[in-house]
Amino acid sequence: MEFEVGGKSVFATTGGKPFDANKPVVVFLHGSGFDHTIWGLHSRFFAFRGYSVLVPDLPGHTHSEGPPLESIEAMADWLNDCIEALGAKDVSVVAHSQGCLVALEYASRFPKALRSVSFITSGLATPVNPALIEAAEQDPEAAIAMMLGWGFGPAGHLHQGPIPGNSMVGGGRKVMRGNTPAALATDLKACDAYRNGRKAAQAITAPTQVLIAGKDRMAPAKATAELVEHLREPEVTVIAESGHILPQEAPDRCRMLLRDFIFRHNPATKIAA
Amino acid sequence: MGFRTRQIHAGVTPDPVTGAILTPIYQSTTYVQPSVDEYLSKGFTYARSGNPTVKVLEDKLTDLEGGAATACFGTGMSAILAAMLAFLSAGRHAIISDVAYGGTYRLSTKILSRFGVEYTFADTSNPDAVAAAVRDNTTMILTETPANPTMKCSDIAAISEIAKKAGAVHAVDNTFLTPYYQRPLELGADLSIHSTTKYMDGHNATVGGAVVSRTDEHAEAVRFIMNSTGTIMSPQVAWLTLQGIKTLSIRMDAQSASALAIAQFLEAHPKVEQVRYPGLESHPQHGISKRQASGFGAMLWFEVKGGVAAGKKLMDTIDVWTLAENLGSVESLVTHPVTMTHADVEPEERARVGIIDGLVRLSVGLEDTDDLVDALERALARV
Amino acid sequence: MSRFLNFDTLSLHAGQTLDPVYGARAAPIYQTTSYVFPDTDTASSIFNLERGGHAYSRITNPTVGVLEQRVAALEGGSAAVCTASGMAATYCAITAILSQGDHIVASSQMYGGNISLMKNTLPRFGITTTFVDPTDTQAFEKAIGANTRLIYGELIGNPGLDILDLEAIAAIGAKHHVPVMIDATFNTPYLCRTLDYGANIVIHSLTKWMGGHGAAIGGAVVDGGNVDWGATGKYPTITEPYAPFQGINLWEEFGPAAFATRIRAEAMRDIGASLSPVNAFLLLQGIETLSLRMDRHMANTQALLEYLEGHAQVAWVSHPSLPAHSSYELAKKYLPKGAGSIVSFGVKGGRDAGRAFIENVELASHLANVGDAKTLIIHPATTTHSRIDADALKAAGITEDMIRLSVGLEDVEDIKADFEQGFRAAKKVAG
Repeated sequence: MEFEVGGKSVFATTGGKPFDANKPVVVFLHGSGFDHTIWGLHSRFFAFRGYSVLVPDLPGHTHSEGPPLESIEAMADWLNDCIEALGAKDVSVVAHSQGCLVALEYASRFPKALRSVSFITSGLATPVNPALIEAAEQDPEAAIAMMLGWGFGPAGHLHQGPIPGNSMVGGGRKVMRGNTPAALATDLKACDAYRNGRKAAQAITAPTQVLIAGKDRMAPAKATAELVEHLREPEVTVIAESGHILPQEAPDRCRMLLRDFIFRHNPATKIAA
Repeated sequence: MGFRTRQIHAGVTPDPVTGAILTPIYQSTTYVQPSVDEYLSKGFTYARSGNPTVKVLEDKLTDLEGGAATACFGTGMSAILAAMLAFLSAGRHAIISDVAYGGTYRLSTKILSRFGVEYTFADTSNPDAVAAAVRDNTTMILTETPANPTMKCSDIAAISEIAKKAGAVHAVDNTFLTPYYQRPLELGADLSIHSTTKYMDGHNATVGGAVVSRTDEHAEAVRFIMNSTGTIMSPQVAWLTLQGIKTLSIRMDAQSASALAIAQFLEAHPKVEQVRYPGLESHPQHGISKRQASGFGAMLWFEVKGGVAAGKKLMDTIDVWTLAENLGSVESLVTHPVTMTHADVEPEERARVGIIDGLVRLSVGLEDTDDLVDALERALARV
Repeated sequence: MSRFLNFDTLSLHAGQTLDPVYGARAAPIYQTTSYVFPDTDTASSIFNLERGGHAYSRITNPTVGVLEQRVAALEGGSAAVCTASGMAATYCAITAILSQGDHIVASSQMYGGNISLMKNTLPRFGITTTFVDPTDTQAFEKAIGANTRLIYGELIGNPGLDILDLEAIAAIGAKHHVPVMIDATFNTPYLCRTLDYGANIVIHSLTKWMGGHGAAIGGAVVDGGNVDWGATGKYPTITEPYAPFQGINLWEEFGPAAFATRIRAEAMRDIGASLSPVNAFLLLQGIETLSLRMDRHMANTQALLEYLEGHAQVAWVSHPSLPAHSSYELAKKYLPKGAGSIVSFGVKGGRDAGRAFIENVELASHLANVGDAKTLIIHPATTTHSRIDADALKAAGITEDMIRLSVGLEDVEDIKADFEQGFRAAKKVAG
């Protein structure tokens, strides 16, 4: 669907069911240079189990109007604007990679509607190699190769995918090509500049969940350990065989963990009752 | 659970990865080991030693025969070879049914005899003849019941007793009746041997064999030979055989019912000299057959009046029935053992054991009984 | 693994998850119709496209899935769907996005099956085609109308071996928001990855060089993932809700694999031109040696071109790697490793000499396939096109003396020696 925030058009998928702000809501946030398609299977799962699902493209990404936002803080403000514009009341946030920084910032500053946060493969901060930022601006194909090359674990490199016949690395490459150079470079700079992670984590009062990939070569282990340390009693799970792009590399496991966590903290049944 | 349930489900579990209801065909030479210390932890190393698809068939046969373990082979002959190599060596002695499949006869007299194995071919339909043939160095008794092609039957329990006393292994070639009708291990035998090519497959699609052992110790000895001589069944054959076995009991019942009707028809026919089918009261071992098996199978033979020439005329002109080797499939086959399956047995030996020149062997298939009888009637009218 | 794997590695490993149960090194052959669900929730999730997984082998099969992901990887696509044959691939791909009233612009020089599909079959369902000269790139643009939904061509055309100026045609397609579908059977991704030059969908008859052994029929559709299906309202089958799956919007949910998913959700389900798992296994074995075979095909082709050009009984030789061929420059650009292993040549003495040549070679097999490991030859004027008169032959780009050769992997000296027998016989007829 499309809606307006701050006078600009925002695109979001809703998992195959119309968005209804009266239902509990699950918001899925994508990472640097990506878009809504990374959440394909997960969004549909929740939409068909009593939730309203919102999977936005960040401004300047794929179908959402630009320009890309230049800081994590601005993205959190924008997310809050989206949620308020739609009138969502009970919100679970599921975030991947850069989306986790946005979720930290959003959850610490806008706790009113928040019911739970799921952090997938990220820590408190995401320092970015200057060579990668430069490549994103000057040689997008090289930047994509670096990010997906490091991002995917063995399953990605062997062109497997959650749907038989689909190559997740092939699909990821196509999505990222559509978001270079401006969106990717801006995203990476925003990640690199974000410093408020520790304070934000300490301020979060909603229940949290952290999914860690055993073969993650993107999220620094130290930053992830710090995230776990500074959150209040997070539920932590390590998925040993997955790389950084866990929602696609280990979709079934990921969905099961999200389901168990979100069903508990933001149940869809209370609406029916 | 009953046989019909077990012939479908025994040994088979849905693929744990995908849920595939049929066992995948593991057409893979080698198996990746998780680590040096976990070598063999997933059960397989190299396809000569074992294969996941073949293993499912082995487990099913173990269940159906009531044994401890099974090894499957590339052919029925390699199954018999493995049984012999496992329990015989130079200077040892085996007693074998004097009418057995020609290949078994050839293997004994032409090959293993060169390595110093001694053989006595005894009339195993008479337990006293078996007891009389036992020597100090007898380590194996191999009976085929019913025997190919004479349909002579042997008392499995009685011979197992003799074998036990002699300290020998009793192996029964159970190809003709399958575990659906006859379970030798329950009657005291040590090994039940199969050409799975026949009723197990049932569709003329494969060649394969199996040895089901009553004890783990025997099973290990047989498997050691299988691995050392490299005679394992292929995964494609195992897969096809697994499909065939699902209808084993249904085919056996239908084919056996036809066989009895055909045997009765032939017995009453003026141009037929003699018929031999264990289900006929005229069969010399009808009594023991009834005691030790729950069915009589679908193999029989008869002799046309007029000897060899008349028999050949019938086989060359008959329709519906196919002139071919093999047996046990859904297609009805007619075979002339003297020129085909038992040509390697010397004429004197054939005469001695009752493989007469005019013997016409029938493997009754799954066609309509009336069509099979009509075809025989027309063919007989022409001779 | 931290950088993308290269072609030869992908041809051996892509798409295969090591069997977690036994560690079987080769992909198991899942010769099964259906799959047991662990619970009803999983079952409904798979049927509702909420999760991957297998339900029924007409739609997906684990062995076929390995092949699909391998072909997608080699082409650099986002997804692939394998089909029972190459023609099924073409049919399923076209009907996934075109409907009654829609129009195709296609090359006029293509495999007869492709021509027949567009000329005879699709018009019965209201899909029409304008055929254009593949060497006239501008003709593609001129033929585009308001209802044009597809540009179709073979990178290496049939029978004249004309090569498409793919970049230019892809630019026309992009400008008009019309996807470019390329039949890449003759080039394989080893000789040219057409997606890299702007193609959007790749079609394969895997029966040919990909499988390489003449053992199995199969096809593939590769989704390039590089079409903005939502840019116009022209592709409702991708961008509008699809009723059979609770109104799923494939474009929103599957993005770069939306087109492949439509084929799977519709064509595999409703038409069922599914590849068998055993054929998939055989084709996988073939793909493992794709680059080795293609290198040898190219080396043998080069050697035979030199031999034929120097032969007294040869009237003419045509191959895009020869300077005289009109596609010579395009071959250098798009096919630097070699312009395929199909060669046409004329035997001096016309139709009868051609027939004599064919009848007197022994090693080369006389049949109508291409892309086998074995050398294949055919004389179109007395076989595939025997009921056509000389003028019609000429219009189809076929001459009476023409032999079409699919160069195999034999020792090239043996192929030459075999051809000598044919040329001696042809010479007698030619007088």
